[in-house]
Amino acid sequence: MPDLRTEVMEVNMGPQHPSTHGVLRVVLKTDGEIVLDAIPYIGYLHRCFEKHAENVTWQQVIPFTDRMDYLASMNNNFGYVVGVEKLMGIEVNERVERLRVITAELNRIASHLIALGTYGLDIGAFTPFLYAFREREMILDLFEEICGARLLYNFMWVGGVSHDAPDGWIQKVLDFCDYFSPKIKEYNDLLSFNKIFIERTANVGVLPADVAISYGCSGPTLRASGVDFDLRKNDPYSIYDKFDFNTVIGEGLKGTVGDCWDRYWVRIIEMEESVKIIRQAASDMPDGNVKEKIPKIVKVPAGEIYQRTETPRGELGYYIVSSGDKIPERIKVRSPAFCNLSVLPAISRGIMVADIVAIIGSLDIVLGEIDR
Amino acid sequence: MAQYFRNIYETIATVLIGMGVTFRHLFTKSVTLQYPREQRELPSGTRQKLFVNIDDCIGCLQCEKACPVSCITIETIKAEKDEDLGETSNGKKKRMYLTRFDIDMAKCCYCADCVFPCPTECIYMVPEFDFATYDRNDLVFRFSNLSDEKHKELIEREKAKEAAKQQPPEAN
Repeated sequence: MPDLRTEVMEVNMGPQHPSTHGVLRVVLKTDGEIVLDAIPYIGYLHRCFEKHAENVTWQQVIPFTDRMDYLASMNNNFGYVVGVEKLMGIEVNERVERLRVITAELNRIASHLIALGTYGLDIGAFTPFLYAFREREMILDLFEEICGARLLYNFMWVGGVSHDAPDGWIQKVLDFCDYFSPKIKEYNDLLSFNKIFIERTANVGVLPADVAISYGCSGPTLRASGVDFDLRKNDPYSIYDKFDFNTVIGEGLKGTVGDCWDRYWVRIIEMEESVKIIRQAASDMPDGNVKEKIPKIVKVPAGEIYQRTETPRGELGYYIVSSGDKIPERIKVRSPAFCNLSVLPAISRGIMVADIVAIIGSLDIVLGEIDR
Repeated sequence: MAQYFRNIYETIATVLIGMGVTFRHLFTKSVTLQYPREQRELPSGTRQKLFVNIDDCIGCLQCEKACPVSCITIETIKAEKDEDLGETSNGKKKRMYLTRFDIDMAKCCYCADCVFPCPTECIYMVPEFDFATYDRNDLVFRFSNLSDEKHKELIEREKAKEAAKQQPPEAN
């Protein structure tokens, strides 16, 4: 029997592709249905964040940090203000810290809800998407009440927060926690334990712990591989060391440790942990002026700092250099989604084309942050 | 073979569990608002369109400086000493004619950084969000309320002043 002549074909996936979560272009080298290589090309959403930051004042950088990871703006603000405050030597009061933690964790839930909703969408389950967005809408309503914006908040400022919580807001947050906890079972019934979903995701895109570490993965992507590393625990910033919560690591419940289902599952359980943190932070909230430490003109003494915080996607690091001026000398961002995406070629060799979508979705990338 | 049938059973069972969830939601209240026909009430601090109460503006340019995207353009002309422009509602004396106060809402990033530094609280955001237009130039909102004649007169006056400055003073 003569050998069948096969040929390597290059397929462009994206930049306009609904399951690449933005404008990501992946060049697939395929042999039939098998992927030989997948090379991501980025830069379609480059907006020069770092150059912009060198031309606006310290305070004006914050709206630009909003726009990096637009699904978790609060967490982006958080890292920047914590870094600048450390450089300036400002200690904010307990109420500010609590408000920051509550909003950041609420935003983490909102971001994970999008991750699980769109992941279902990628795989072909439409219904969970609507359920996830219903709960996310409530979080956005809470944010709109406290700071006026629904997506790009500009809420955390150097030395404080822009608005104090209005009357009854804390109670609304606690009510939301009570409402939200049982909903997680609904997502599990709809998607997590659905046999078709498990078949599509378990044992697919297995990311071993050593590969994850060597590529610099972080956040749920790293923890799903069984590495217990969470900056809220391992390098506590703000007041995270006061709260009692667990880091979630992948156990390979439905397949191998570090497969797509594990990455998805870590996010589900992390939402429960976030609810736990919010409950602790919102109970017996201290009084205080949230704006007392906000300087009139932010002037940072000369120096440099690398501040890393845990965003829903992983370790977001700001390397801030100041020359003692009103304008930052240099701000470099270490983006978690960028490092998580870089592992894509390593885990997608030799798999089916359809599984590429499952892997990209499980990495939960946001292109706004990758390209900045 | 047993595995084959178990897979079929599990698939049907888990799909039915999911269907149960959606079925229960048939009897709950809908959460979707039919937007143009029904509208939700916006909270008090909501950040939408920028508005300037020009009668209260003292022309201090703080909002222009605070804007990270430079969407506010203000031009002022100083009033003469004998001219009285009145006071703002919180008792600050106005000393500037505002010949131009433009806000380009197409550029605005809705960060509200301009709202906080205003000493007379005359720039703020109003709950109005459906102002889409076909022409981007229609999104430049002009707030200056000087009449055209007054505007021209002030510009002439400024020119005359400049000219006087340029000329070297007569020998004293």
